[in-house]
Amino acid sequence: MKRVEVKLSLPVVEPLLAVIKAAVDSLGRDLAAPLAMTGLEGEFRDTWTGDLLAGQNEDMRALLGLFDDQFPFTGVIVFDEENAEAVLRACSAVRLRLRARFLTTLTDEILEGGDVELAQLGEGVRTAFMCYLFLATIQELIIQHLDSTILDS
Amino acid sequence: MIVAEAKPQILPAPRGKTALQIEGVWHVVVLNDPVNLMSYVVMIFKKVFGFDESTARRHMLEVHEQGRSVVWTGHREKAEAYAFTLQQWHLTAVIESDEAR
Repeated sequence: MKRVEVKLSLPVVEPLLAVIKAAVDSLGRDLAAPLAMTGLEGEFRDTWTGDLLAGQNEDMRALLGLFDDQFPFTGVIVFDEENAEAVLRACSAVRLRLRARFLTTLTDEILEGGDVELAQLGEGVRTAFMCYLFLATIQELIIQHLDSTILDS
Repeated sequence: MIVAEAKPQILPAPRGKTALQIEGVWHVVVLNDPVNLMSYVVMIFKKVFGFDESTARRHMLEVHEQGRSVVWTGHREKAEAYAFTLQQWHLTAVIESDEAR
């Protein structure tokens, strides 16, 4: 089984975890990307939403599982074929949530371009943006190293 | 997500017989969002639709530059399954009837 271990800087990452966990908690009953489909019958729509929420919550557990009891001592997170897909999706969901809740003052162009002056952001927005970048980095690492594993799964 | 996918995943519950009847040609359309990474979108297109790298990248760029891309066309039932799968990956997807285009 292909396995990727990443050693993170605890002083940098630990302050981000509270924000990430708060975003995860806020997603318990909401889809990160609301259904854009129109015309779905009521019962069918409810079933879809319920199934999507269940999957989203399962993915969140995989993401939070990276930062288990050992993480504060080791600073190491591990990706493998068991958690790669779920963590990828969870990172996407939390990034969407951070954008919707904390990064509304940033335009789409700024977010897509990444051209942000951190020093000019308020503390809350700056921390949320750091989380946003951190989760994108996790996604890039997984795609770079486990792309074939995910495509073959 | 079923027959609609290159790889099997969890499917939504089946619809009633009447709703499952073929309703003409439908398109699965992915809409742009400013959050998801380009590399992430490419990987999803490869995984869900079985696209090769260049096809997946072309659709991703179409979404990015034009705001939308038709990524699959066929029966409604399968189009819905694809839309569900894309939603699992937090992409914004809709289905459109060919008659509405």
